[in-house]
This record gives sequence, structure tokens and C-alpha cells, in this order.
Amino acid sequence: MTVPTLEIQSLTLGLKGGARLLRDVSLSVKPGEVHALVGESGAGKSMIGKAVLGVLPPSVQTLSGSINLQGNQLDALSPAARRQAVASVASLIPQDPLTALNPSRRIGPQITDRLIKRLGWKADDAQRRALELLDRVRIRDPQRVMASYPHELSGGMRQRVLIAAAFAPRPKLIVADEPTTALDVTVQKQILALIRELQQQEQTAVLFVTHDMGVVAKISQRVSVLFAGKVMESSDTADIFSHPKHPYTQALIMATPRYTHPDEALRPVPAELIAQLQREIAADDRGAAHVR
Amino acid sequence: MSVEPLIRVRDLQLSLPDMARKPLFGPAPRIEILKGLSFDLPRGAITGIVGESGSGKTTAGRALVRLLQPTGGSITFKGQDITHLSETSLKPLRRDLQMIFQDPMSSLNPRHTIGRIIANPMERYGVPNARQRALETLERVGLPASFAGRFPHELSGGQRQRVGIARAVALDPAFILADEIVSGLDVSSQAQVLTLLRQLAQDMNLTIAFISHDLSVIRNVCSQVIVLNQGLIAEAGPCRQVFDAPQSPITQTLIDAIPLPEIDESWFDTVKV
Amino acid sequence: MADAALTAVTQPRARVRKPNPRLWLSLTWILIVVVAAVGAQWLAPHNPLEQDLLLERLPPLGFSGSEASYILGTDSLGRDVLSRLIYGARIALAVALAASFAACLTGSLLGLAAGYFGGWTDRIVSRFIDIWMSFPPVLFAVLLVAVLGTGLGSVILAIAIIDWTRFARVVRAETMVQSRMDYVYSARIGGATRLRILAAEVLPNVLPTIAALLALEMGVAVIVEAILSFVNLSISSDSPTWGSMIAEGRATLHFAWWVLVFPLVVLFLTVLSFSQLGQGLKDQFDPLSR
Repeated sequence: MTVPTLEIQSLTLGLKGGARLLRDVSLSVKPGEVHALVGESGAGKSMIGKAVLGVLPPSVQTLSGSINLQGNQLDALSPAARRQAVASVASLIPQDPLTALNPSRRIGPQITDRLIKRLGWKADDAQRRALELLDRVRIRDPQRVMASYPHELSGGMRQRVLIAAAFAPRPKLIVADEPTTALDVTVQKQILALIRELQQQEQTAVLFVTHDMGVVAKISQRVSVLFAGKVMESSDTADIFSHPKHPYTQALIMATPRYTHPDEALRPVPAELIAQLQREIAADDRGAAHVR
Repeated sequence: MSVEPLIRVRDLQLSLPDMARKPLFGPAPRIEILKGLSFDLPRGAITGIVGESGSGKTTAGRALVRLLQPTGGSITFKGQDITHLSETSLKPLRRDLQMIFQDPMSSLNPRHTIGRIIANPMERYGVPNARQRALETLERVGLPASFAGRFPHELSGGQRQRVGIARAVALDPAFILADEIVSGLDVSSQAQVLTLLRQLAQDMNLTIAFISHDLSVIRNVCSQVIVLNQGLIAEAGPCRQVFDAPQSPITQTLIDAIPLPEIDESWFDTVKV
Repeated sequence: MADAALTAVTQPRARVRKPNPRLWLSLTWILIVVVAAVGAQWLAPHNPLEQDLLLERLPPLGFSGSEASYILGTDSLGRDVLSRLIYGARIALAVALAASFAACLTGSLLGLAAGYFGGWTDRIVSRFIDIWMSFPPVLFAVLLVAVLGTGLGSVILAIAIIDWTRFARVVRAETMVQSRMDYVYSARIGGATRLRILAAEVLPNVLPTIAALLALEMGVAVIVEAILSFVNLSISSDSPTWGSMIAEGRATLHFAWWVLVFPLVVLFLTVLSFSQLGQGLKDQFDPLSR
């Protein structure tokens, strides 16, 4: 049995004011596996990625649970040690290619900086690796792009650069935070193909955050469905689409329009289902509070 | 019996000055956004306008409601040429040419109450009992009348979009431009808003131009579709025909790129990275 | 509705806005200054102009040689420092209010016009602002007062004439942002006239910025007046102003430090309070979760 790259157990996050953002979330990601986190806005899917990378907003506290990344129990480490442990092993593909790149620096240093400064690579090696990756994301003139500024590139190209930057340090885990949400649908397909290709070649584990069930079906092998910070259902992607067990999963799938079934009525997630789930969650919260 | 289309567009051209490349003296070079579009919007139908970024779909929409002035070609509304009408001449027609915007955050004035947002256009056109009608319209879009006293930031994205719809239909217009109205919404809010739009379109016999980048949404809501690419029409026709038997490679690529919520091992085969 | 329900569970309940400490502290000090200015006649223990050479340079209370009724001591002409500070508040406040409102009104109107109408209006106003702003402000103020003659009116006019550009620039920028919002396009579609849109749709959203800037400007006005009175270009040197007190205090710094220090502290606190008020106002009334 393979040791998972990432193992999250019973993670509960909350705001200082008391509201819960994640409720008892558990999941694991194996090497080379793409695990999708799907849910609507506010479901907490981005929070999980941020918790793993250690970039939660200061107002969010970990109330309970643990995160184990590549054998390191992250919560047991000091903040500095934790940053080092994460930096050597994990990367992020962010959502917005526009704001993720520094507009006043060239592309090259933005890729190689982390390799040289954080991971101690030699400048030549870093340069070579950056060029190699720019080539693998099918950028035609890697040298020119290395010397360019972000605003000189199109949105699709910037996202490719960010993918190259994420894979450059040979991470064991990549957190992809809605990397295709801001892109055109044809560009999205290309980007998904690239992520898949690189991930399979390097056997990188990927935590893929998205709100789109269609993307989940295409890119992931396992999926966790989130609602109000809680995992509703977690299983193999193939199973979830053939036999979704949880009513919320079913509702999400049915609410996604399909051009192949034009006469299917659009079915929003039923209000009664939402209300029922909320009642259950509120009851769980109260129970947990009593235990404390 | 053939009924005249509500809106007729012939060889529509629109270029905008490229202020980034403007020389110190003299006019800026122009970027051609729409290079000659010709299409009809049939009465009572929801027509989709689809394309990727840079296709010109947003510009085409704004030209239709004359938020932008075409630089060539013609737009005919109810038989009248509105292409170069002045703002004053357009004013009486504006009542019939309404629009719903993409961003639920910025399309509602954060300092106005919901009631005022819906009632304002009616008051400007001298519709009697504007406030009362605003409340009725609120209920029509499935929001409680008590929302009239609230501010936009107190509502969710889906609710704000419904206010946008209420504002547009309150004037009982002939035509509505729906510009990417569900793009920023969760999938369940999306379904609610689209169902509402379809219902209202039917009840009020509205002619709607539905701009979107999402072909699945278009297929579900529209009877016709126009596919734009780089300022030109790549393909147009009834949805069934365009989707089942696309003529243009542009359309085919768009269709292939849609990730359906089903397992498909061969989906990545048709990608050109 | 489903999405409202969703929101209620997944987001924390909106916190009631706690009173902003920055806002309260600065308001308190400004209130003190206002009370001093308005009630100077009743609050000041002595006549600020009354000099008694037998009581010159008395130290403040608590130091040896002080007199009970001269709490903050006296200056080199025997005038009560505290009373002069209190009366000085009148000038400071008058200038702060009048000059900043004048600058605000002029600048905001021009900024709104430039930002909203664009085109030639914007080009002309912007050039005008650029040229105007290239004069060094304090020098300009000194020049103006030299030409217009000293006096409260001149000082107020001088500050307003110089500082309107600050408003114009910022208001223009904010107006441009708001004018491109979808709700403005929506109003156009809804049949509103351009002027109506500017007044009813855009202006309310630019107002918080104007208010914050106005508060800031009051602080600036007080400082500029202090500088002018420091170089004796403010009102006549009889009526006490904080700036002139500082100027006089320089000469006696080594043996009567209180003559300089107290007006300096009061000036500092007042200007600080105005600038914090501006920031606090912006924080408090920042439109409703952008």
C-alpha cells in the first residue's frame, strides 16, 4: 500500500469570532493522483489548500486535526520549520494569472528565485530547469519568455508560466486553486491537458480545487464534495458520477447543464436539501461544543 | 406567415481608438472589434451569442442597446434605423431596449436600496405607481417584498442578479440584452436565474439576446445561436443544428472543449496543446 | 432562498461595527478644540493679550516659581500661555473649516466634472491642475498673502487657492472608477440624463472619499496657517495664533521652554486628529463590503 503524499485528518478550522470554516475534514492524496475538491463558493475548498500550504489568513485558527505532508506532521512543527518543509515539497497553481505574477519583474527570475533562494539550487541548474519546463508547457520561445514581463504575455500564456513555475522545483504535491476558472473554455482544456501531462510524468500528487463538476470528471481520480466546510462525499471519481451516494452530490451533478441534453430542465439544488444539511451541521456543531 | 424580426443587424462594424498607442498629436489608431456582423433577432425568441474573449460578443451586445455607437453598418429596431440616433432620440426607445449586466456587484448602485434601484427607471419614464410595481416585480422574480428596503451588499450574488432581472423587466421592454448574467454565479444560483429568465421570457413574450461563453448554458436556454470569432460570425442557426452538426471548426473546437460532468477517457484526445 | 441559506451557514454572521478607536480619539480632541474655540471667552482664565511684565516667563504649574492661575505658565511678555492657546484655537478652527471647505468645493466640482465627462473637459481641467500644482505650495501661499495683504480672509483664500488641486486629482480618479461601473450603464439604459446620473448615482459613491479628504485637508490647513503665522504673514501679531506662539517661543526656548512646547504639542495633536479623523471616517463608512 502506497504511503499517501498528503494526509489530512479531522481538520477543523474556525474564525476567532467563533464561526467554523472547515468541519472535521479528512482526505488523503496518493503520489501521482489528482484529488478534486469540489463545492460551491464558501464551501471551504480553497481553505483546505491554504491550510496545507500554510497560508491561511491570520484570523483563521486550527481548532483541531492534523496535516501530514510527505511524512512531516505539519502542525507539530514551528512556523519556520513548517515553511521550509512545505516549500521543499509543495507548490501552488493560483487562480488568477494576472495578480499572481509581479508586473515589474521578468518571468525568468520569478521562476528561478524559489529554486535558488529557497531550495539552494545553483543558478545554472535553475535556469536550465525553468527553460525545460517552459518548453514542456508548449511555450514556443522559452528564452524570449524568460526575458519578458508578465504584461507582454496573454492570459493563457501566463497560466502556462505559472504551471511551469509550480512544477519546476519537482514538488511532491501541487495545490491547484481553481486554475482554469478565469480562462476561456478552449484555453481551459489546454491547461488541464498540460497539468495532467506534467503531473503524470512527474508523478505529482495534485489537490485540485474547482466548482465545476465537468472539470472534476475530466481531471481527477478521486473527489471530495464539500458543503459548508464539511465533506459530504468522498470517493473515486468514476463512482461518484455513476452512482453518487449523497443527495448533495447528486444535486450538484444535476444542476450542471449539459449541451448533450438540451431538454433537461435546469435543476437548482433544492432549498429543502440545503436547509436540511444546515440543520444537521448546526446540530453537529452543538454536539462538538458540548464535548469540549 | 413571416413576422419581421425585432432587431435586424446588417454589416455591423465597430472600432475603438487604441489610446495606448495614441501619438502626441493626432488621432489614435483604431482597433476593429466588430468587422461586419449580419444577423436577425426573431421576436419572442432567446438568441445566444457565444464566443471566447476577444470575439466581440460583449461589444456586439452593447452596440445593440446603443451603449456604443457603431462605426459602420446598421441596426434596425422594430423597423426603425437606430444606428446613429442621438441620445435624445434614443430616449423614448430605451424603455424597450433593456439590459442585464454580468457583475452582480457593480451593476447595482451600492448606495441605493433595492426598491429604489427597480423603481428608478420606471419613475424616469413616468410609469405610474412605480414603487408599487417595483414590489410586484420583486415578487415576480421570486424575492420577498421585504427586500425592497435592503442594500445590494446584503444580498447574495444570485439574489442580486434577480434584482437585475427585475429592474430590466419592470419596464415591460420588448428586448433584453443578457450579458453573461450567470458567469459569476454558483451552479445552483445559475440554474435558478436561468429558469426564471426562461419563464419570464415566455410569460412576457420577450426577445432576448443571451451573451455567454458557456455553450452548455446556451444550449439549455436559447433556440438560436450565433457563434462569434474575432469580430466575425463563424456560424449561426438554430441551436439543434449548430450543436448537432457544426459547420465551422471554431464551433467544433468550442463544443469539444466543454467538460461535461461525465467520465470520458477520450476527452483529451481532441486537444491541441 | 437557497443561496441566502447557504451564505448564512458558510459565512460568519456580519459583525456589528465596533466603534473605531481611532475615530473616537480624534473626535474627542477635535471636540476639545472646538469647545475651546467657541467658549474661549468663558474658558480662558486670562485675557490673552494682557501683559504683565512683572509676571513674565512664569513656569507651568508644578514647577518652582509658578503661579496658580497661570497653569501653563506665561511668555516673555507675561501673557498666559493657556489662554493664548485657547484663543488660538479660534483662528486654527476658522481656518481649518473655511479653507478646507472652500478647497473641497472647488476641487471636488472640477474633479467630478473631469472624471465624469472626460474628453475636453478632462483634458482642460487636468492640464490646469498640472500647471497649478507645479508651484511650490508654501511659497505660493507666502506670495499670495504678500500680495493680498495679511488677515484671516487672505489666509483662508490662500490655502483654498492652493489646495483645491489635491481634491481635484483624487476626486477625478475616484469619479472615473465609479463612472465605469455597470450601475452607471444601467442608469443610462434606464433613461437617466447624464447630469442626473452624476448627481444621483456617481456622487454618492464618491462622497466617502471626499469626506475623508476633507478631514485630512483640515489638518493641512491648520499647519499652513501655523507656517504663515510663524513667518508673520498670517493675521496681525496681536491675536494669538499657535504658529506665532511657536515663533516667539523659539527665542526663549532655553529658559522658558513651555512657551514653545505647549503650542507645538497642541498643534501636533490637532493636525494628527484631523488626519486620523479622515482615516477613521473612511474605515467607518467604507461602502458596505466592496
